[in-house]
Amino acid sequence: MKTLTIARRELQAAFNSPVAYIVAVAYLVFTTVWVFFLNQFFAQNEASLRIYFTIVPTVFIFLVPALTMRSWAEERRMGTLEVLLSLPFREGEVVLGKFVGIFGLLLLVVVLSLPLPLFLSRMGVFDWGQIAGQYLGVLLIGAAGISVGLFISALSTNQVAAFILTGLALVALTLAGQLPEAVGLPSWLSAVLGYVSFGHHFDSFNRGIIDSRDLLYFLLAIALFLFLNVRVLMVRKSS
Amino acid sequence: MIEALGLSKRYGTLEAVRDVSFTVSAGEILGLLGPNGAGKTTIMKILTCGLFPTSGTARVGGNDVLSAPLAVKESIGYLPENAPLYPDLTVREYLRFIGDARGLRRVEWARALERVVGECGLSDVIDRLIGELSKGYRQRTGLAQALLHDPRILILDEPTTGLDPSQIVEIRELIRKLGTEKTVMLSSHILQEVEATCHRVLILSAGKVVAQGTKEEMERGMRGESLLDLTLRVRAALDATMLAQVRGVRRIVSQAAGPEGRLELRLALAPDAGAEEAIFDWVASQGAKIIAMVPQRISLEDIFLSLTERPQQ
Repeated sequence: MKTLTIARRELQAAFNSPVAYIVAVAYLVFTTVWVFFLNQFFAQNEASLRIYFTIVPTVFIFLVPALTMRSWAEERRMGTLEVLLSLPFREGEVVLGKFVGIFGLLLLVVVLSLPLPLFLSRMGVFDWGQIAGQYLGVLLIGAAGISVGLFISALSTNQVAAFILTGLALVALTLAGQLPEAVGLPSWLSAVLGYVSFGHHFDSFNRGIIDSRDLLYFLLAIALFLFLNVRVLMVRKSS
Repeated sequence: MIEALGLSKRYGTLEAVRDVSFTVSAGEILGLLGPNGAGKTTIMKILTCGLFPTSGTARVGGNDVLSAPLAVKESIGYLPENAPLYPDLTVREYLRFIGDARGLRRVEWARALERVVGECGLSDVIDRLIGELSKGYRQRTGLAQALLHDPRILILDEPTTGLDPSQIVEIRELIRKLGTEKTVMLSSHILQEVEATCHRVLILSAGKVVAQGTKEEMERGMRGESLLDLTLRVRAALDATMLAQVRGVRRIVSQAAGPEGRLELRLALAPDAGAEEAIFDWVASQGAKIIAMVPQRISLEDIFLSLTERPQQ
């Protein structure tokens, strides 16, 4: 209940500023341009949305920081955090509330993008199980990104710094799995990098495989950064 | 209602608050007075669970800020300095959020809203965006936020900064009225504010409590000092700083040269030491003449200035 109170405030703030609208439009435009113009979807002549979803992690590198940068940095800059901390919430409830609110926004953006794949799906026989897995992957990688972004925003007082640092962190996390291919690292290292990489785990979902390990990976990543976020709040209070 | 027990707070190497203890009883208005940077805000943040003390603890409404923060937060209303608010919400939306956070049900909230809107004079701006409000209305919205759940304890950090004189009078009146049924703690760096609204004063300087008591207690000579204004006519050069050595004189508060070879001094005297006679004798021995010797009542202002303007060790 208290979590939802915070989540609703977060959504209200997003819709009262242009950020939510810009993010929604940017997501729709990027993905559309990618599928039809850069990848010539129709020329591929394949009844699969894999190409469409391949770009999503990259788009999130830019969009997720835009969603999360304000969350803590702005509250600290304006001093509203002081009021928030004096309200009868536990720190965990505030963190979770912000996460749920921003995830709600991302969910909305993803729902707005549904018409495109639905439109394409009438042109061939698609594997709906795979599409469900792809959407699950999108939501999980988005949620993990939000968790990272919230944590970084909690560390900064400046929105721009939060945006850039979150973007860098997401580049590293998303692309870590591709690094070994590029530079030829030892196999154990590429295995490790692959394992910590968002992109690597997202690929399984994109192939239509729902592996409990990938699911667990994302859930753990989300939980880890939310936990670190709570720790940041606690450390701030005692420093 | 509020009990601070040896509170200390260190930020890195800066000791913002040093071993501060005090109590505020139910139905009392306590003023925290001190120049900027004296530690007022830090103390308030500790009492409202926004900061952990480095050592010591505090009990607010019978609950410990460290072990029962939720119970503490439920019992208090807190207005931070500059009344931080969300500019992109209307006053009603903001107070709705606060009501939800405070766990008020719809009907309770509607009643509470009506009450605080009346108390804080917000009816004209209730559906306006906070970002568009004047400083005065924003301060009142912040106060409404603190009052919404009708808390037993109110903690107000600089509640009148940035307001114009008539608004200041209104807010002070409101605080006095609230003080008849609630425990109030407010901070200010303005003496008149504290004199006008508070029953009791706590003077802070460089993180330490340097004086506390009612206004009358302090004026009666909290530190056992009395003041003497002395006007001398001096012929030759007189080393007036020697006066500080005279028996019963604690220190020279101020010293200024007047017209016609006059020297005007304000001295702080130890109580009942017969300093006046010793001063008379000393002045005579220096070949100067006493034009006037007037005992002064110590005002709160004098105490405040003498306690907070002394160089810090």
